[in-house]
Amino acid sequence: MNGIQLMVDALSLGSQYALVALGIGLVFGIMRMINFAHGDLMMLGAYALVVPTTADVAPPLIGKWPAVAMIVAITALVACAGILTERFAFRPLRHRQADGATLLISSFAVSYLLQSVVLLVHTGRPKSVSIFAELTRQMEIGGVRVALVDVVTIAVTALLLLAMVVFLRRVRWGVEIRAASEDFTMARILGVRADAVIALAFAIAGGLAGILSLLYVAKTGVLDFRMGVPLAVAGFVGTVVGGMGSLIGAVLGGLFLGVASSLLQALLPEALRPGRDAFLYSLVIVVLLVRPQGLFAPRDTGERT
Amino acid sequence: MLLAVENLEVRYGTVPAVRDVSFHVETGEIVCFLGANGAGKSTTMLAVAGVLRPARGDIQFDSRSIVGLTPEQVAALGIGLVPEGRRIFGRLTVRENLVVASGLRGGMAAQKQTLDVIFNLFPILRERYDGRAGNLSGGEQQQLAIARALLTKPRLLIMDEPSLGLAPKFVDLVYETFAALRDSGVTLLLVEQSMRRALSLADRIYFLQSGQVVLHGRAAELAGRSDLEHLYLGGAAAR
Amino acid sequence: MKVGLSPPTLPAAGLIPLLGLLCVVVHLIGNQLVEGALTEALVYMVMVVGLSVFVSNSGIISFGHVSFALIGAYASAWQTCCPGLRGVFMPGLPKIVLDTNVPVIPAALIAALLAAVVAAVAGVAIARLDAVAASIALLSLLFVVKTIYENWTSITAGQGSLAGLPLYVSLWTALAWAAVAIVVAQFYMISAHGLRLRATREDYAAARAAGILPWRERLIALVISAFLFAIGGILFGHYLGTLAVSIYWLDMTFLTLAMLVVGGMRSLTGAVVGTLAISTVRELLRALERGFDFGATTIQIPQGTQEVALALALLLVLIFRPQGIVGDYELGVSLPR
Repeated sequence: MNGIQLMVDALSLGSQYALVALGIGLVFGIMRMINFAHGDLMMLGAYALVVPTTADVAPPLIGKWPAVAMIVAITALVACAGILTERFAFRPLRHRQADGATLLISSFAVSYLLQSVVLLVHTGRPKSVSIFAELTRQMEIGGVRVALVDVVTIAVTALLLLAMVVFLRRVRWGVEIRAASEDFTMARILGVRADAVIALAFAIAGGLAGILSLLYVAKTGVLDFRMGVPLAVAGFVGTVVGGMGSLIGAVLGGLFLGVASSLLQALLPEALRPGRDAFLYSLVIVVLLVRPQGLFAPRDTGERT
Repeated sequence: MLLAVENLEVRYGTVPAVRDVSFHVETGEIVCFLGANGAGKSTTMLAVAGVLRPARGDIQFDSRSIVGLTPEQVAALGIGLVPEGRRIFGRLTVRENLVVASGLRGGMAAQKQTLDVIFNLFPILRERYDGRAGNLSGGEQQQLAIARALLTKPRLLIMDEPSLGLAPKFVDLVYETFAALRDSGVTLLLVEQSMRRALSLADRIYFLQSGQVVLHGRAAELAGRSDLEHLYLGGAAAR
Repeated sequence: MKVGLSPPTLPAAGLIPLLGLLCVVVHLIGNQLVEGALTEALVYMVMVVGLSVFVSNSGIISFGHVSFALIGAYASAWQTCCPGLRGVFMPGLPKIVLDTNVPVIPAALIAALLAAVVAAVAGVAIARLDAVAASIALLSLLFVVKTIYENWTSITAGQGSLAGLPLYVSLWTALAWAAVAIVVAQFYMISAHGLRLRATREDYAAARAAGILPWRERLIALVISAFLFAIGGILFGHYLGTLAVSIYWLDMTFLTLAMLVVGGMRSLTGAVVGTLAISTVRELLRALERGFDFGATTIQIPQGTQEVALALALLLVLIFRPQGIVGDYELGVSLPR
């Protein structure tokens, strides 16, 4: 496999994982809870593209809207779904002073709930859907043919990350999110509204999941009620390895995981390939033991909550 | 009365840190809480600010009970707290710290006047405006913490151990600032360990020991009582 | 009796006779479906009781226990499954394993021991982490083990199913093992180790100041817990007769955790009650999903309602009654001094 193709592949996967990790990291930073349901939000976005039906074949619903409308609709829908999960599952727990363990289980429960609802509505049979068919073409970079959808994934992710940086530094709401991540109580003492900033974090995370679902479905074309799980796992591993409580760490962690995963897949000898995932997952335990703040987190001199 | 606290009891788990504290603060006063470490001063302030929930007792601000309100609701009503240890957002810049605090009263654009006041009081903040807050010295961080609190336009400003860990010149500056604040209409509630400092500024002083108020009076009356230092402040030398 | 740090002398002792009574009643009723449901519930009970040994006493949530069930189930299969055909399904097994057929009970014990060893090794690392990190690490353990088993096809038949496990799990077998699990769990609970671990749960700093080594107590609890959970996993495999790595994954994780939380995360009685409660609800919903005739009409709810109901039940319990059905309560007896 050519070096450029390899890089595009690796960066494409890395971009997906970076987006997931960013979503998980945003919520974790403020609530100190890993939202297992994040991957399932992406799954909801994907399934919103088709008509809800138990039939084997699901005709496209939002999937046949014009491109811009589809992008806006799915992003908004998943953002709303994120806000709703916060409003009805996590906020009641927060207001009852639920501890970290309870929040963790509840995010697992929300994840299971979302999967079960989709399973109920759509059955467990994978369904296919085609969006942005133009993206399945190939393009040439430096004389090598690469999949357009991969290039688009990388480009979109880069743009989103840039937008996030601007938002988190230049827009007051973004600065409030960062402040809340560093010292939630102090932010509240200064008047930052807890419910609002958390809802915002969930909305943004949801929006990111929505865009990711479009990129993912454009590439794979398959819907499955479990499709969010590998991404959530990747996002979770990326966040922990990269650095919990640090958005940069989470993004870099996700990127690192995707790139490493891809490269290992291509470069490892056949026999060792199955060990790749096991090795990467066990990195979590190693990192937690050796460098719990994560591999890429900046040195933490901020106040502890 | 601006603030009236009655029979306050605050626990950490089953351990009571504040047992039965009653005090009040009139508008325009400077009231000081003195006591040794662990006496319950900070806990009391955290309860007033809505961060801790009292097990018993009432807290009234402007004759309205504020027990059970969230910290952000308490801030909106006009109580500002600069907690022990300053707790600035070290990973954010000075500017961003101020931005966060400005949100309560309309954002940076709406707070030009207050910002001018802040930069006059603490010119270092303008110099280090885009620098990382975590890189400021202790004294500079304290200035930033006060500046943040000012942006929330408090009517009652609570300062918990403002001189802790600061070089004397910064402490002087900070106390001058308090005097200026009082003159501009802000009521102050200070928590201190230094009796000398408290006497220099406060109108009334409460002594706290083991979670209870053991003595209180006007500063003028207590000024002559050199025994108090030993009795209630663990014999800490006058600072 | 409320339980705090010192439980009644024999916590949950009341449970075993009650369970026995339940089994007798169900057996006498003679309905195959109900007896099967109770058997399955008792198998889950072994797992959930095992889970509670760690979770209830340490206060640390574990999402990774199913990995022990997976290890145990396959290890039991290696010793007992499909004689003659074992080499076909799992050619990578060492010859001695391929040729030896171990009787089911020793096989189960050996298999659970393997899981306990894995728990010990992983636990050396995990027990030192703080509560949140430990939970995360345990979840990662699940991923690691699952991935290894999925891919090591020569000894696990990979993602395919492995059929031909001896079906030895009757109602009474399951009851016997459930009783064993409860007894082990309660003896751990009243032991010095159990007391010390619960002390770290109640007040970590004070426990350390008193000289307790949290990591050691957690490690011990994890190993015992893993052993019991593995037994449950083994029983599950031999109840179904078929194994697949996918069985020991998120569904089982969620179900066992839900059973513990709904019953009461902090007590052994909670583990038992939660298992029975959730199993009952599941069976009812299963029956409704199959549909039954009520006069002229057929009442049937859609397939998949079971899982939705379970998820909702767990969320509602977490929000409105986080201590679970029994809270701290233990159905125990105090022995006369």
